[in-house]
Amino acid sequence: MKTKRTVISIFTLCTALLFTACSGKGTSNTEASRDTQTEAGTEVSGSSNTTLDDLYQQENQLFADHEDAWNKAFGMMNKSTADPSGNYADYLAATVESNKDSFTDDELKTLTDDIETIRKIEEQIAAIEKDNTASDNASQKDNSDDTSPFRNFSGQDYDGNSVDESLFSGNAVTVVNFWFTGCKPCVAELSKLNELNDTIKSMGGEVIGINTETFDGNEDAIKEAAAILESQGVAYRNLSIDSASDAGKYASDIMAFPTTILVDRNGNIVGDPMLGGIDNQDNYDTLMKQIQSVIDADGANK
Amino acid sequence: MDKNKKIISKRAAGIRGWIQAAATLLTNIHIPNLFKGKIYQGSAKTVCVPGLNCYSCPAASGACPIGAFQAVVGSSRFKFSYYITGFFILLGVTLGRFICGFLCPFGWFQDLIHKIPGKKFSTARLKPLRYLKYLILIVFVILLPMFVTNSIGMGDPFFCKYICPQGVLEGAIPLSLGNVAIRSALGKLFSFKCLILITVVVLSILFYRPFCKWICPLGAIYSLFNKVSFLKIKVENSKCVGCGQCSNACKMDVDVLKTPDHPECIRCGACIKACPKDAIHYQFMGMPCEKRASVDNNIQKSNH
Repeated sequence: MKTKRTVISIFTLCTALLFTACSGKGTSNTEASRDTQTEAGTEVSGSSNTTLDDLYQQENQLFADHEDAWNKAFGMMNKSTADPSGNYADYLAATVESNKDSFTDDELKTLTDDIETIRKIEEQIAAIEKDNTASDNASQKDNSDDTSPFRNFSGQDYDGNSVDESLFSGNAVTVVNFWFTGCKPCVAELSKLNELNDTIKSMGGEVIGINTETFDGNEDAIKEAAAILESQGVAYRNLSIDSASDAGKYASDIMAFPTTILVDRNGNIVGDPMLGGIDNQDNYDTLMKQIQSVIDADGANK
Repeated sequence: MDKNKKIISKRAAGIRGWIQAAATLLTNIHIPNLFKGKIYQGSAKTVCVPGLNCYSCPAASGACPIGAFQAVVGSSRFKFSYYITGFFILLGVTLGRFICGFLCPFGWFQDLIHKIPGKKFSTARLKPLRYLKYLILIVFVILLPMFVTNSIGMGDPFFCKYICPQGVLEGAIPLSLGNVAIRSALGKLFSFKCLILITVVVLSILFYRPFCKWICPLGAIYSLFNKVSFLKIKVENSKCVGCGQCSNACKMDVDVLKTPDHPECIRCGACIKACPKDAIHYQFMGMPCEKRASVDNNIQKSNH
């Protein structure tokens, strides 16, 4: 009896440990990999940033070493002729050249020498910055290659009008809200989503609803969904999509509702999906911030 | 036959742990989903499993009857869950709380936790707490989802949302481990329900099946059918010597001799195993044992 009890307790303990071990490992693994990913990312950009800082530092050192001459030169600079995108060394040289007479020969010599050094430093800076933007572009490209389910999009609104991916290209950001008819929290945020749609319309955004029960043009489900949308005063578009399509598969993999995602002009999903309704003020603020950043990024790309 | 029956009863009670393990496995057959953080959503999910087994468990093969009941009651489309109620009556009349003892995964979980060595306390003095589960059934499973609704008649599954520790154990924890988006959405409600789960685990170490005794609305439903269910526990007065070993062995605080079909009996068979005279056994379809034995004897005689 006693041995049996010990065996049982050991067995239970082992099972418990087994479960915790498994789950613990799972999380630690994912977390570890995420850590290394972000760390690696910061390291790369970090190292280029430090070299950039170094180079700028060298320039400043030159200015500091020959402070008197340079201060004189800076005093002669004209804001209106400054061209931020132009070559800095050229700009300095032009300033010095046009005011040649105000400098002594010694000063002129130091300045022209410094300008040559600065020209070399500027070349290095330009090379690094080019690299950085290139890698940024590359990583952006990687994301877009990540076959977004909204690249080839097709659906129908509840009146039977067909829509395709041009739905996304017309707006800087499209807020896609996944919901289903029997989901109370989903229904609770519908009126707020409608407000959001009105708010972001002028900013170049649109809210789209996708009800997972209305897949494949299910008419009964569409009727029911439309009745709920009407009762909540929703005016933004809701779409029925094909369950076998990429977007349909993406929606079927969603395990918690409501889920809201942001899609950019090119049909790429931006950021992580947001779970939970935006009738919660914190969620609303978070989403609004994300929307703003997508719109900003869209403006910058133009 | 009479003897066989008792042997069958004893054997069934003896391998109860394995039956519980098998039932848990069968009701959570989609094991790979546990690692994907995805819920199986096939057509089997429209059917309920007998025990308390969260629909949102990634591995679950069916729906939880309590969850389904609340979902339908709280839905704007239906006023009452007739289909699930019929399911309760069917299972209640055939098996009763045998489901708690043999088929419920959360019952098995508590059984396993209770095997952790340590001081064990009797719940005999805490009998009034038993009625709490009926209160929870009526208030959290039926009334609140039915009447606390939004403008278009949708209610929350109050028991699932605010009480059920099985939902955290089988649903929230594995889902959030396998699904980053869900992990990021965990909030105060999750912490609160984790606290409930931890409380239940600690209480399960100290007491035998505290959740089944005091909280479980599904147990409360099945308990109503214990007195009329086909499966029963029978004490043979002719063999019983009244030693009281059965009631001593009973961890659900049932006086087996007086009320073998007490609502609290989960048919675990501890009394059957404990009886020195083999006077207790399961019986199905309410056939009194002496009669069946005599019928069997007659058949045997005619065979000779």
